[in-house]
Amino acid sequence: MAAPRAREARGHRDHRRVPSEEEALEKWDWDRAETRRLFEDAFFRDEDYIRQGSEDCHKFWAFFERLQRFQSLQTSRKEEKDPRHPKHRIPALADLPHTYDPRYRINLSVLGPDMRDTGRGSRLPPKRVSEFRRALLHYLDFGQKQAFGRLAKLQRERAALPIAQYGDCILQTLKQHQVVVVAGDTGCGKSTQVPQYLLAAGFSHVACTQPRRIACISLAKRVGFESLSQYGSQVGYQIRFESTRSAATKIVFLTVGLLLRQIQREPSLPQYKVLIVDEVHERQLHSDFLLGVLQRLLPTRPDLKVVLMSATINIALFSSYFGNAPVVQVPGRLFPITVIYQPQEAEQTASKSEKLDPRPFLRVLEAIDNKYAAEERGDLLVFLSGMAEIGAVLEAAQTYASRTQRWVVLPLHSALSVADQDKVFDVAPPGVRKCILSTNIAETSVTIEGIRFVVDSGKVKEMSYDPQAKLQRLQEFWISQASAEQRKGRAGRTGPGVCYRLYAESDYDAFAPYPVPEIRRVALDALVLQMKSMSVGDPRTFPFIEPPPPASLETAIQYLRDQGALDASEALTPIGCLLAQLPVDVVIGKMLILGSMFSLAEPVLTIAAALSVQSPFTRSAQSSLECAAARRPLESDQGDPFTLFNVFNAWVQVKAERSRNSRKWCRRRGVEEHRLYEMANLRRQFKELLEDHGLLAGAQEATPGDSYSRLQQRLERRALHQLKRQHEEGAGRRRKVLRLQEEADDGSSDEDRAGPAARRADDSVDIQDVKFKLRHNLEQLQAAASSAQALTREQLLLLKLVLARGLYPQLAVPDPFNSGRKDSDQIFHTQAKQGAVLHPTSVFASSPEVLHTEEPPATGAGGSRDDKDKMSSKHQLLAFVSLLETNKLYLVNCVRVPALQSLLLFSRSLDTNGDCSRLVADGWLELQLVDSEGAVRLLGAALRLRARWESALDRQLSHQAWQQQRQRRQRLEEDEEEAAPISRTEVAALSRELLQFMATKVPCSLRRLTGLEAQNLYVGPQTVTATPSLPGLFGSSTLSPHPTKGGYSVTDFLTYNCLSSDTDLYSDCLRTFWTCPRCDLHLPLTPLERVAHESACAAGLDGGPGAEEAAPEQPQKPSALQRPYRCDACHRDFLFTPTEALRHRRQHM
Amino acid sequence: MASEAERRPLGVFECQLCGLTAPYSYVGQKPPNTQSVVLLEESYVMKDPFSPDRDRFLVLGAQCSVCGRLVCVGPECSLFYSKRFCLPCVRENLGAFPAEIRQDLEKRKAPPSMRSSGRACPGT
Ligand SMILES: [Zn+2]
Ligand SMILES: [Zn+2]
Repeated sequence: MAAPRAREARGHRDHRRVPSEEEALEKWDWDRAETRRLFEDAFFRDEDYIRQGSEDCHKFWAFFERLQRFQSLQTSRKEEKDPRHPKHRIPALADLPHTYDPRYRINLSVLGPDMRDTGRGSRLPPKRVSEFRRALLHYLDFGQKQAFGRLAKLQRERAALPIAQYGDCILQTLKQHQVVVVAGDTGCGKSTQVPQYLLAAGFSHVACTQPRRIACISLAKRVGFESLSQYGSQVGYQIRFESTRSAATKIVFLTVGLLLRQIQREPSLPQYKVLIVDEVHERQLHSDFLLGVLQRLLPTRPDLKVVLMSATINIALFSSYFGNAPVVQVPGRLFPITVIYQPQEAEQTASKSEKLDPRPFLRVLEAIDNKYAAEERGDLLVFLSGMAEIGAVLEAAQTYASRTQRWVVLPLHSALSVADQDKVFDVAPPGVRKCILSTNIAETSVTIEGIRFVVDSGKVKEMSYDPQAKLQRLQEFWISQASAEQRKGRAGRTGPGVCYRLYAESDYDAFAPYPVPEIRRVALDALVLQMKSMSVGDPRTFPFIEPPPPASLETAIQYLRDQGALDASEALTPIGCLLAQLPVDVVIGKMLILGSMFSLAEPVLTIAAALSVQSPFTRSAQSSLECAAARRPLESDQGDPFTLFNVFNAWVQVKAERSRNSRKWCRRRGVEEHRLYEMANLRRQFKELLEDHGLLAGAQEATPGDSYSRLQQRLERRALHQLKRQHEEGAGRRRKVLRLQEEADDGSSDEDRAGPAARRADDSVDIQDVKFKLRHNLEQLQAAASSAQALTREQLLLLKLVLARGLYPQLAVPDPFNSGRKDSDQIFHTQAKQGAVLHPTSVFASSPEVLHTEEPPATGAGGSRDDKDKMSSKHQLLAFVSLLETNKLYLVNCVRVPALQSLLLFSRSLDTNGDCSRLVADGWLELQLVDSEGAVRLLGAALRLRARWESALDRQLSHQAWQQQRQRRQRLEEDEEEAAPISRTEVAALSRELLQFMATKVPCSLRRLTGLEAQNLYVGPQTVTATPSLPGLFGSSTLSPHPTKGGYSVTDFLTYNCLSSDTDLYSDCLRTFWTCPRCDLHLPLTPLERVAHESACAAGLDGGPGAEEAAPEQPQKPSALQRPYRCDACHRDFLFTPTEALRHRRQHM
Repeated sequence: MASEAERRPLGVFECQLCGLTAPYSYVGQKPPNTQSVVLLEESYVMKDPFSPDRDRFLVLGAQCSVCGRLVCVGPECSLFYSKRFCLPCVRENLGAFPAEIRQDLEKRKAPPSMRSSGRACPGT
């Protein structure tokens, strides 16, 4: 690849005048570039050990200069030794050179050009050639010594690890048992060494699971390096978007989630012979589930060996779960750590604000400054509960640091950019200590060397899950004793350390021994879905190592049923099958499926990806006006998912325009680019999933037609590959020396400020950009982004409908008094929770007026019911992605949707009064419509649309299921009936009507029912007095009384006339004489009956009363429809079908 | 580009003095993939694991030309003076070496053992 350059250089030389030998000897100058080039041309050719222009070549000349200086200092002391040295009796010693020369110490030799090729190098003076060759020999020898030194050091370090003494034992135990538990604390080396022991013992087909993706990569690199096959391929990793696996791979590091998916495909896991499950003590949800799956799998795979690796926490639990598996316990290597308990006094109750009091932390900084000399190295790691707490201490500590000039204060949490996270690995200048303020991420996930002091606040913020409200709650807890020990241990990895505990010893004693396993504190929807798709049976009876709370399981199952992923018998529905394969939240999965049906796959892919990663908006940008202004054009007042959609598309456009720097573009807008890369990756994965499942036509080859541009493209990709390789082969990120606070504080790193010229060459390559361009088809992405900008208003509305249906029932209703409140005080209510607020990053937080109905309620009126129930056709709801509780309850990622239409289309339960002017959705939102006729018409339209949408979706999914089955069976059963896909025209018609429906303007009031109202909502089961016959309205479905609500079930979601309300009592009195303009029927009818007749009449049915007799459209057993009926007019009891009852009643009129 | 076969280890080199082990991929005097460098003794060679360059090699060790022990090139185990000598052999025959070597030897320590003693096993 470097050939053209070298050839050019050589051609150059041929035309040069070569100095005569004497001339050269006299004014020989090794520093002249031309001189050097002559030698490089001769010795550093492409086929030589060192190549011209390489890094090695530069290093050689530097070495050469040093050697020249060194040799000129040493006077040539070549006194001859005694030539009559007696010959040694041992032959090997007999012919040793007696005149010492360092050259004899070198075990290699360099062939010069004169020895191989007479033409070359002959013009170089021989004296200089030997001088050069001698230097080259020493250089190569030096390189050998250096590399061997590194190798020996590496081996010594490995041998010195506590686990090294247990390697044989582990292998021996594994020979005799199927499961072995290796227990050892952080630092004992189990994660890096056990895989190597297995490799060295000849095992292959080894899988090692890790809870985190990042650990898969770093361990594969480390183990590859240590097992000295860094550039070989015995060791690989496989994570969601990347794999370095090949045929030669003997051990692969992968995430637990990925292994579970492999089991899902091949339940007996035939591709592995050994499984290492690392970090089982963390008790992550997937890891716990994997253990359960393995426990069942092992009897059927007696040849499969399992190594469970754990910290020394609760080992007996794992051992006994696997039939008392033997435990190899490895002591950790920790230096002694002094524990100082410094319980916080009651002082902060005085300032009982929400903010954390930083003073106890500052006191530790002071104590360290007073007690330890600045020259004594040793950094400080502070464990805080969350980001807000880190912020509070950061501010105070930086003030202290700028005064004392003895500290560099750095935050560490998962929301930081990768570059900022990496700063904690940099070194502080002499006399300065690092103070790292961290969440529990540094407890086990991130290991920082050189920590001598630890401050433990004793607190942790964890997501807890409220199954009732389906609410994720970030709450502060006391840590467990196990965590406290883990935190303490971080001080003793490199030497004796000190751990300050900001709580009392009695507090410690009261801590729970172990952290609460994840399975007991998170939503179990995804787990249940996965369990269903793996056919492991009823989740309620699955033999978990520790079972989840039954309530959590029930909620998850109910939720999946509500979402349509499970049917009534709790079996997976077609949509559920698909959802189980999408590694996303059920809600997001639904959007993907719905979107693909409406040919909105591309935009939905982007939005689904955007909603599945952390918010790309950086916190620091929140307060920056410049960032806010730069971001504004990208904001969409439709909702946050659309803003994210715009950001991603704009970013892709920036990427596609070569001249622009996307990194800078992101920084200017306060966007974390890393998240956008994640989105791009996720988007691609979703797309492949949809394609795999036949929901999206496969990608058409978007290669440009002419051969020239194809060649261009190929060259470009090759150049990118080369860049990536160069980056990977380079030393990677070198540790930098941190600067003191003043300079380092403005949020930008060195690299940002330095001009391009000041940057190191490898820094100027944006490796993320290179990887991105290699991984993605930028042209396709750009096409998607461009078409996003060309989305019609209709498509956008349809997109919103898809989002809303996906997000349902995650809805919030604005408080009726919002329009009188400040922007920041807007409150919203969900079904389970009142008083939620908008997340500050939400677009609606800055422009809440788009959520208000046109006419704000009169503020002076004091909120009478009339005011609150203002009739408006502009009532809106917020569909939200998640609800997050920290110090407040936040709605995260909201979309605004028209209230009435959305509720009619999506509600799982819709209840009406007698004339349908009053509707209650899902038992908590009440809608009142002025015009009962309009209401019924709207309801009828909603029913028809829902039925059509549902059937279209069903057909789409069954077609897809059929296709997959056919692929699997490979057309063995040709006669099987093909499920026809839904036609494009049908979809187009459906979307048109949906849009029409959404656009209808119907004034109504919207109100969240009070608790008392919700309790007394229904009339309840009762003796039936009247059964409406409304064939036109409710289709051919037969009405049966609802067993609990009263009224009649029309469909599985609609219950007619079950609301208890005063007006119901008089509904029959609302009959007035009316003549049908179409069939001239003249009868006293209620508005409802009138509309029913109208729509039946218009549909061409003979809807006239009595017509049913002639055309019995309900061939079902009539007896089932008969209900006791007591006529109020003739005071007699009958057993009537609904139609019979109506007919009877008509007699009395 | 070196093929997979060329880089595959032939076996594991183990120093008989310090116990250092490493997989080697070539034994001889002409390391693969380079024409310009020759080795002056029959050496056990691996691909330099610290260099991304495929044809970088690393000499691990060779046989002592006196006692025939297989020793690593580490300064605590052996030295090269026109031939490979393990340090025990050098010490035994100090007189055969020039003064420079003798002085140099005084600075060297005993090899740190890389062998680990196994621990008692629970599962047996
Ligand atoms: Zn050795
Ligand atoms: Zn020897």
